[in-house]
Amino acid sequence: MRLLPRSAARRIALVAFLAYAVAMLLLGSAVYWATHAAFARQIDSSIEQATLALLSEYRDDGVRGLSEALATQHGPGPIALGTALFDPDGHRIAGNLDTRAPALGWQRIVFLDPLEGPDPARAQTTALAGGYRLVVAADLESLESIDSTILGLFAAALIMILLVGLGGALLLSRYLRRRLGNIEATAASIMAGDMAQRAVEGPADDEFDRVAASLNAMLDRIAALVANLRQVSADLAHDLRTPLTALRNQLELMRQDRGVGMAEQVDQAVERADDVLTLFNAILRISEVEEGNLRKAFTPVDLSALATDLSETLSLLASDGGRSLDTAIDPGLIVTGDRELLAQAIINLVENALHHTPRGSHVKLEVRHANGGVALEVRDNGGGIPEGDRSRVQQRFVRLEPARATPGHGLGLSLVRAIAEAHGTCLFLDDARPGLIAALTFPERSLS
Amino acid sequence: MRILVAEDELDTLRFVERGLGELGHNIIAVANGEDALHHGLTEALDVIILDRMLPKLDGLSVLKRLRAGGVTAPALMLTALGRIEDRVEGLHAGADDYLIKPFAFSELAARIQALGRRLAPTTVTTKLHANGIDMDLLTREVRREDKAIVLQPREFRLLEELMRHAGEFVTRTMLLERIWDFHFDPQTKIVETHMSRLRSKLNEGFPHDAIETVRGVGYRIRTV
Repeated sequence: MRLLPRSAARRIALVAFLAYAVAMLLLGSAVYWATHAAFARQIDSSIEQATLALLSEYRDDGVRGLSEALATQHGPGPIALGTALFDPDGHRIAGNLDTRAPALGWQRIVFLDPLEGPDPARAQTTALAGGYRLVVAADLESLESIDSTILGLFAAALIMILLVGLGGALLLSRYLRRRLGNIEATAASIMAGDMAQRAVEGPADDEFDRVAASLNAMLDRIAALVANLRQVSADLAHDLRTPLTALRNQLELMRQDRGVGMAEQVDQAVERADDVLTLFNAILRISEVEEGNLRKAFTPVDLSALATDLSETLSLLASDGGRSLDTAIDPGLIVTGDRELLAQAIINLVENALHHTPRGSHVKLEVRHANGGVALEVRDNGGGIPEGDRSRVQQRFVRLEPARATPGHGLGLSLVRAIAEAHGTCLFLDDARPGLIAALTFPERSLS
Repeated sequence: MRILVAEDELDTLRFVERGLGELGHNIIAVANGEDALHHGLTEALDVIILDRMLPKLDGLSVLKRLRAGGVTAPALMLTALGRIEDRVEGLHAGADDYLIKPFAFSELAARIQALGRRLAPTTVTTKLHANGIDMDLLTREVRREDKAIVLQPREFRLLEELMRHAGEFVTRTMLLERIWDFHFDPQTKIVETHMSRLRSKLNEGFPHDAIETVRGVGYRIRTV
């Protein structure tokens, strides 16, 4: 048999409720015993005081005086006291306490109440000269009634607490289940395929709302990654179809032509296969850089020398394409990194600028100190990239509208981004008014 | 040339064996490290091609043992894509060249050719001559049939590389490695751009192209 309910919410509620009940019982018992003990002490002290008063009568006037005092002594104190004087034979000769002679000292006795019949009482019996005995007793009825009042009160309180606790526990468990049910239902609908479903984020910003918010943030991230993956797969398939289809048609043509211009056709076929391989190499290279275990091979690289060296080649490329490349390279700037990756980043940034600007545009490659680091910056005076697209173009295969018609795979900037991240920095794109600024800022390596 | 090929992917092994065989080489094909070591130690070889990953004994260990055993034949290591550490390890173990898999056959063939030539006694040359072109590496003068040609430093290095391997194909990748020290393909036309400048300077006023280009293979200066 299960002792605890399966639902965690119910378990929490049940445990809270049991804790209340136990606390209530402990409190009730403590109050009961403390009150009982205090009242019993008070009874004893009343008996003692009455005994002392009677004994002083006895010392003054002997048995006769005591008997008279007993006959008259009926002060309506807070506690009803009964008294009796017994002769040496054990006969009651004075007092109203209808009982047989008890033994000496403190006793619990039973006396005959004229109204209620036999009643328990607390009695102190004192020996007098000549075998006489003085008994002073207090009816325990008042103590019992206080005890029963306290017990009754606490029993009622306990029942109240049980009811309220049980109700509260049920409410708490329903509340918890409702709040968690929100998240559970979201998870269930996502599992069922509704990726757009999100948990309701309440206005309270409490624990549940925060869990719901984290869950939603996580779902958004996953959804973005899934969408990106889907997009990448689709783009990859698309980009592969084009050269592969061309290759296939080429081969078909070669079969028909049987040798006519074969060498040239084979060359074309090889070139198309190389296109496909180039694409794959670019993708794998990005993954390799993104994996990020290149850092241990990092060495000091003279970025100024590297940029100067490459600019020689790149300016030839620029002038072949009817554009110009200027440089502003401060000498001797050293960064920590991978020389070949940095070279690749410079090549890609400059090629990107050459590729996406109209003929006659100017591209400038700069390496200089900036904000305590070394900035590598490529700016052009072409069309630029709209602000909203600047982070998108750093993703794989993303090509903006005017560029879609030109050859390329949209991997250049994503490789630069991956290289930047491998070097602990990021690719920053900004508006050159007009044109685009693409910048990487590296921490400078001190020469010491 | 007598070439040992150790490669555990049988498709690649067959394709290399067939391709190099058609070029007139004598191939010993093995598929694991122990066989590679055995043949490497017992046969006279001109070039050794070793896959980095081989069953029984990996390519690096095979090469180290061959070198320890006094085998000096040039070795080409085949490695998986992008393992930069592999290249460095391979060179430390005594490899003379490396190639990233999968590779184009023409690339392998060009590199084997270049490695095989290293066997020839290397004299310190300061003058190169081929196909009517003369280069003086000390004065950095270039002449084609007595016509002086002025080259930029990078064009000079390109021509030097082609002249040193006159008669052989030099691939784009080999030029990137040797002249730019890039062990990756920067996916850009830097080689082509410099090559076209070099070519136009060399060919100006001559009816024949001094440099032969085969698309997808590489460049070559004819020896005749």
